[in-house]
Amino acid sequence: MSGSPAVEVRGIYKRYGPVQALSGVSLSFAWGEVHAVLGENGAGKSTLMRILAGEERADAGEIRLGGQTLHLRSPLEARALGIGMVHQHFALADRLSVRENLALVLAEPREWRFDSAQLDRRARAWAERVGLELAALDEPVGHLPVGARQRLEILKALVGARRVLILDEPTAVLTPGEAEQLFAMLRQLKAQGLLVLFITHRLPEVAVVADRVSVLRHGRVVGTFDGPFPDLTELARAMVGELPVESAPSPRSISGEPLLELHGVQAAASAAGMPLRAVSLQVRRGEIVGVAGVDGNGQRELFEVLAGLRPLQAGEIRLLGRRLAPRSPSEVLDAGVGFIPPDRQREGLVLAMSVAENVLLHRASLTRFTRHGFLEWSRIRAHAAELVERYRIRTPSLETRAAALSGGNQQRLILARELAAEPQLLVAVNPTRGLDFLATRAIAKALQEVAARGCGVLLVSTDLDEVLSCSDRITVLYRGSTSPLLARPWDLQRLSAWMAGLGFAQTGQP
Amino acid sequence: MNMMRQVAREVFPSLAAVALALLVGAAFVWASGVSPALAFAALVQGAFGSLDSLSEVAVKTCPLLLTGLAIIAAFRAGVWNIGAEGQLLAGAAAIAFAGRYLAPELPALLALPAGLALAAASGAAWAALAALLKVQRNVNEVISTIMLNFVAAALLSYLVQGPLMEAGARYPQSDALPAHMLLPRLAPYRVHAGLGLAVLAAVALQIFLFRTRRGFELRAVGGNPAAAVLAGIDARRTVLFAFALSGALAGLAGGVEVAGVTRRIYERFSPGWGFTAIAVGLLARIHPLGALLSAAFFGALDAGSNSMQRVAGVSAVLVQVIQGCVILFLAAFETYRRRAANRA
Repeated sequence: MSGSPAVEVRGIYKRYGPVQALSGVSLSFAWGEVHAVLGENGAGKSTLMRILAGEERADAGEIRLGGQTLHLRSPLEARALGIGMVHQHFALADRLSVRENLALVLAEPREWRFDSAQLDRRARAWAERVGLELAALDEPVGHLPVGARQRLEILKALVGARRVLILDEPTAVLTPGEAEQLFAMLRQLKAQGLLVLFITHRLPEVAVVADRVSVLRHGRVVGTFDGPFPDLTELARAMVGELPVESAPSPRSISGEPLLELHGVQAAASAAGMPLRAVSLQVRRGEIVGVAGVDGNGQRELFEVLAGLRPLQAGEIRLLGRRLAPRSPSEVLDAGVGFIPPDRQREGLVLAMSVAENVLLHRASLTRFTRHGFLEWSRIRAHAAELVERYRIRTPSLETRAAALSGGNQQRLILARELAAEPQLLVAVNPTRGLDFLATRAIAKALQEVAARGCGVLLVSTDLDEVLSCSDRITVLYRGSTSPLLARPWDLQRLSAWMAGLGFAQTGQP
Repeated sequence: MNMMRQVAREVFPSLAAVALALLVGAAFVWASGVSPALAFAALVQGAFGSLDSLSEVAVKTCPLLLTGLAIIAAFRAGVWNIGAEGQLLAGAAAIAFAGRYLAPELPALLALPAGLALAAASGAAWAALAALLKVQRNVNEVISTIMLNFVAAALLSYLVQGPLMEAGARYPQSDALPAHMLLPRLAPYRVHAGLGLAVLAAVALQIFLFRTRRGFELRAVGGNPAAAVLAGIDARRTVLFAFALSGALAGLAGGVEVAGVTRRIYERFSPGWGFTAIAVGLLARIHPLGALLSAAFFGALDAGSNSMQRVAGVSAVLVQVIQGCVILFLAAFETYRRRAANRA
C-alpha cells in the first residue's frame, strides 16, 4: 500500500499488573485495506485494538490518525474521530427492537421525541450506505440470528465512525455462511475507503479477506505480511513462534500402562463453546500429554467432560482400564483424578475463604480431616502449613483470604491441594494463564515433578510454548477433534498447521 | 494479634453503620423540632432504665435472634431467603395447632417440646417449597420466598378465622396454649426461657458452620458454588439443607414467641420480625455469635421506642428509619470494599 498511513501506532506499551500485554508495538495501517491482526490468545491483539478505540490507555506510545497525534480518553472521543469497534460480546439490548437499538446511536441528542418514522429513514439510509439489509425494524434483537445481530452491531459502530472499523474476533460466533456475508460486507467497506482492522486467530479466513496481516506474539510485532496468502504456513510459524529450544524434560520412566484413554469422545458445546466431535487420546503413567490448540476449540468442554460436569454423549473414557461416565465431580475425584481448572478464581478457589480453608476444599481432604462430623482444625492447620512450606505459597498467614494472594500463589495453592489428595492423574487446564514468568516456570516445574512421581498429567493449554516445553506427547484440539499424538522431537510444521485448522479436512480430523 | 485485627476488621463496618444510622435518626428528630438528646435519652431509659424494661428488651430480642440466625444459615450458603417472616408464621400456626389437637393426646412433659419441634418442622417445610422451586426449576428464591410470605400471612388469617378459631371468641384468634405448653417465665417479668433456647441455637449454629464438615460445605457452596462442586460437594443437597435449616430456625422463632409471649396466634401476629431479621443478620456480618449483639441492639431499639414516643413525642417509626439506614450503610461499605478489592 502506498500513500501516507491512515493510522499509525508507535512504541505502544501496556501492562496489567504483573503481565506486560504490549511491549513496544509499532504498526501502520492504510486507508482502504482490510488489515488482519493475527496472534494467539494473550498475544495482545485485543489490548492494542482497545487502545486504538479509546477504551484503554497505553502506558507509553503514540497513536496517529492521518498524521495527527491522538490522545484518546474515551470510546466517545474515538468515535467522534471516526473510529468504531465491534466486540465479540455484543453491546445490544436484547429485549428492545432493532429500531430502538439503533436509536441509541441515531437519535439526535437534543431530540426529546421518539420519532419512529424519522429513525427508520435514518436507519435505512445508513444501512444502504454500508450495503446492509435491515430486515424487520420491529423485531426484538434477541430474536435475530447471531449474524444479523453482528451486522446490527457493525452498523451501530459505523454510525459516526466512518473511517476506521475494528472487529474483535468477528467470526467466532458466526456460521460459515454468515462469515461469508461478513467478508463480503468488509470488502464493500474497504472499497469505500475505510480502514478495517480485524482481530483473529483463524488463519484460513485471513487468506480470504485480508490485504495485509500483522502478527503479534507475546505483546510484540513479529512482522507484517502483504497478501495474497496462498501458503499459510509462513503465517502459522510467525503466530506460534520459532522453533523453541527443545528443553529436554528430566528423564522419567514412562511405563506403557495407559492411565487415561479417550476414544471418540463427543459432548455438547458449552455456551458460546465448541462441541466435542471426536476426541481420542491416551495418557500413560509418568507422562505429560499436552493438548495444544487455539482457545475455544473444545478445551472447556473437554475439561467439563473429564470433571463429570458435562455428560458424555458418545465415545468412551477409561481410567486405569475402567470405564468411566462420570455424572458428578465426586465420582472422578474418587477415581483418583485431580484438577487445575481453567479459571482459578471462578472454579478453583473460594476467594472469601482462608488459605487453610481452601486447602481443605477437596472431597478427599474433607474426609481425611473429619471425625464424627467435626473438622479437626489443628490437624488441618498443620497440614496447610506443611503445604504452604512445601509448595512455597507466599501468604502472610494461613488465615489470609485466598483473594489476597497473587495469581501464582493462588495457582500453587490449588496445585498443593489437588496433589495432597495423591491423584493418579492430574488434569491441568491453562495452568499458567495470566501468571508472570517466575510463577509460570514454578508451575511448569511442579508439573514435571508430579509426572516424575508416576502420576499422569493431561496438560490442556492454549500456550503452545508451555505445551512444547512440558509435554512428552502432544495432540492438537481443533473444532472439537483431536489430531494424532505426536512425540518428541516436535514437528512444528505439522503442529502449527493443525492448530490453524490446516489438514483438519471435512472429516474434522487430519 | 492477627485474630484481633481480623475481628476488628469484621466489626468496624457494623459499628460505623450503627453510628451513622443513629446520626441520620438524630437528624430526623432534630428536623421535627425535638432535641435529639432528649429523644435518645428517653429511648435508652426505655430500654435499660429498669429491670422491667430490660426484660422487655430480652423479650424483643428473642424472635429477632432466632430469625436472624435463620437469615445467617441461609446467607452463608448463598441462599437469599427473604421468607423468614412466612416461615415464622408457619411455625406459630403449627404450635397453635399442636396446642389444640396434640396437647390433649400427649404426656404433659412432651407437649412443649413436641410443639416447638412441629413449629421448626413447619418452618422448614415452608422454606422447602422455595428450596425445591429453586433446585428443581431454577426459580429465584428472593421472589419465591417474598411471595410465600404473603401466602403464609393469608393462611394464618384463614386459620384464626376458621379451623383454629377460639370457640366463642369475639376476635379472630386461636385458643390459648394450655399452661403446661408455655415456656417458663422469670416472674414477675415477661422474659422467658425462649431466650436461653435462642442463645443456645446461636452457639450451636456457630459451631456447626465453623467446626463441622457439613457447615464447611455449606459455606463453600455459599462462597463459590462452582469451586465447591468441583471439590466434590453436592451443591443441590447443600442448598436444600441450608434452606431447611433456615426455615426451621424461623419456624422455631414463631413457636417460641407463641409459647413464650402471646400464647395464641392472631392476624398481624408478627410485627415483621422476619424482615428485621435481615438487618440483624447483616449487622452481625452473618456470624451467629455476632447476632447475639445485633439482635439485642434491635431489640433494645424496639423496646425503647415506645418510651421515646411517650416522653419525647417522637414517633416510634423512627426505629424503622434507623434499621433501614443500618442496612443501607452496610451495603454501601460492602460495595466500597469490593471496589477497593477489585482495584487492587
